Amino acid sequence: MATLPRRVAIVACAQSTYECPKDSSREMMVFDVVHELLRKAGITKRDVDTVISAQNDFLEGRTISNMRTVGPLGAYLKDESKVEMDGAWALLYAYARVLSGNHDIALVAGESMASCYPPYLPATWALDPTFDRPLGLLNELSAAALQAGYYIQAGGASEEQIAGVAAKNLANASRNPYALRRMPGVTAADVLSSKVLYSPIHELEAFPLTDGCCALLLACEEKANEMTDRPVWLAGVGSSSDTYFLGNRDLAASPSLEQAAAAAYKTAGIKDPARDIDLCELSENFAHEELIFYEALGLCPKGKGGEYLESGATRMEGSLPVNPSGGALAANPVCATGLARAAEVALQLRGEAGEHQLPQPVNTALAHGQNGLCAQHNIVFILRSSEAEGVRA
Amino acid sequence: MRNVAIVGVGMNKHTSKRREVNIPEMVYEAVKMAFSETGLTPRDIDAVVTGNMPGFEGVNTPELWGAGYWGGYGKPVLRITTGGTTGSSVAQGAYYMVASGLCDTVLTLAFEKQSDGDTTMGLNSVALGDFASVLAYGADIPALTASMGGAIGLFVYQAMIYMHRSGCTIDHIDRAAAMLRSNACKNRFAHLQQEGVTAQDIAATQMISYPLRFGHTCPASDGACAMLLTTEEKAAKLADRPAWIKGCSSASEEATSLGLFGGGSINIDPAEQRSCKLAANKAYALAGIADPTREIDLAEPYIPFAHLLFIYFERLLLCAEGEAPRLFDEGAMEIAGNLPTCPSGAVMSTNAIGASAMERIAECALQIMGKAGEHQVPRDVHNAVAHGLGGAANLNVVTVLGDRPNRG
Repeated sequence: MATLPRRVAIVACAQSTYECPKDSSREMMVFDVVHELLRKAGITKRDVDTVISAQNDFLEGRTISNMRTVGPLGAYLKDESKVEMDGAWALLYAYARVLSGNHDIALVAGESMASCYPPYLPATWALDPTFDRPLGLLNELSAAALQAGYYIQAGGASEEQIAGVAAKNLANASRNPYALRRMPGVTAADVLSSKVLYSPIHELEAFPLTDGCCALLLACEEKANEMTDRPVWLAGVGSSSDTYFLGNRDLAASPSLEQAAAAAYKTAGIKDPARDIDLCELSENFAHEELIFYEALGLCPKGKGGEYLESGATRMEGSLPVNPSGGALAANPVCATGLARAAEVALQLRGEAGEHQLPQPVNTALAHGQNGLCAQHNIVFILRSSEAEGVRA
Repeated sequence: MRNVAIVGVGMNKHTSKRREVNIPEMVYEAVKMAFSETGLTPRDIDAVVTGNMPGFEGVNTPELWGAGYWGGYGKPVLRITTGGTTGSSVAQGAYYMVASGLCDTVLTLAFEKQSDGDTTMGLNSVALGDFASVLAYGADIPALTASMGGAIGLFVYQAMIYMHRSGCTIDHIDRAAAMLRSNACKNRFAHLQQEGVTAQDIAATQMISYPLRFGHTCPASDGACAMLLTTEEKAAKLADRPAWIKGCSSASEEATSLGLFGGGSINIDPAEQRSCKLAANKAYALAGIADPTREIDLAEPYIPFAHLLFIYFERLLLCAEGEAPRLFDEGAMEIAGNLPTCPSGAVMSTNAIGASAMERIAECALQIMGKAGEHQVPRDVHNAVAHGLGGAANLNVVTVLGDRPNRG
């Protein structure tokens, strides 16, 4: 593969507060976030060359959903397109568009309103219509429960360790003003005493229904340096997909995330992820997924996800904090979740995370997005500060 | 900017009901053809870029289920969906994945299996967000569906406005439909093939909503289209005469004709199609085409309703506004004409919605490669323009292709 033709950076990001239900129309929510994004970047919509949104028509309750957000996205008469996946893939597409040289400034936004259309039903429409769907057994939750049960049995973690993931993330979220579930001082015991949704998954170990929007602005090197003195560089990206049928997969592992991470690490020159990365923001729709992701990302040995959590390495003050924002357990605006991970990483790299800013310096960070049952598709971005990327402004 | 070539094209025969295959199997037919055209295998591709019309076949995110069947296992899969424009948005997504340097060889595919779902309900859900308030006045969903009438409810206004301004007559629209359906007889992948159909036959079909009759409208098809895109270095080894993607652009306007209570948006004129002109200008500029009326040898606009042949011939800047009906009368748009337009038979004859806009690009590529078969145009095709239309006639995607890569 060719060396990439230019450098691209995130120059600004904006998020709505994540709520359910949110007291706003979908269009107003998007408008408010895009408006704030452009204000932060100090540009107007005229300066934007291309707009990519992440939306799912089943979640919107109407098809061609981007048609109705052309206005609020600032995309009127612009080269606009829509990725119908998690927002992290919209970021990939916008990145490709800027890399190509056809566009210099790209706006990426993801949004969903679970209070209008809860994602559970659309997720069952994603099942294959000839076998899984008519059988009526499989849905996001039952699939996650199968995976969690299998992971526990395979020795990856105990139920308490899985609850520990939720306790860590939801306590982190108490310092993130955008998060939906903010639970200061929550413990693993509290998580285990929450309602069992589908054994072994408890309510606090599953993502909450969330309304929200997240938007990022990308720019080529020249424009990025004009717009900010703290650009966040896209240093590597990798994406891969696993097979659909759960019975054909080893649910205690995530080979597609391993492949995605390997590709991103290669471009970014990361040899030892646990040492070279300062922060991870993962899309853990269910608590146990975060432990499987630790292993697939190479942060700890295979089968040691639970132990790695217990070591405290991934806490706010640990050697490799994971989800200081609270992650997807604290807020999961489907289609914006992966984008929000990139936005949170950008805030940390820019030192703008506020109350949940990490005490230690952050120069290289990882943002992750996922799609499908048991994280069938995965995408990994490595993002860097100018110092770490070796760019002189 | 890296040059990007189309080296392989695959399509299957479109029909109204493919009951013997499911979605991944149906799509695989087109994928297999694209691979066998080039001798490539799934191992050789770096990513799959796909899309279809969300909801029309009752499967959400079908790439999760299907990508493994199409060579996407263990690879990046990107799904782009933008309504009627989906196929062209997907192909441009694949273009950008190669042009960016992120990938070398990409499989791109788009499809629709409308017999699995309810297309009219899907179309009406487009408008439901705007018309939901009408439910409060006692209208029920079936009444709402009947009053909107799917896509045609919007395009009849556009047709009337255009006819009023341009001098295009209903006779022109009948003859356009007859020409496109006759072209489709020569296209082995086309759905509706009416041998010897005449303008009189079209004029005798049932009126749906004035001025558009049954014979002026597209069918609902099951079908798929796939293409393999690669870099300049690799293209030389894979195809004798690859088709180059030289200019990609799109523009999104406010939705036309719907608006609050179906009163139409006061800002947007559905027959103007400013976004198409903007996108065409940009795409021609990227392709180094100064005068499309002279330099374009073939056009594949997106024509789901016959009157659009005239509107988009003009909005793709292939002649002055209002000139298209006259050029049509002179035979310019016929397969052997000066500027053959939709020799494939157009969306009017074959409409697997998600695939339709990609098929416009694929048809241009086949004509440039000299592989179109019976509907291959007699003249050399150096440059061709493909178009996708979507949304409530407010999204336009324009792709310019050529027989040589961009230089300088």
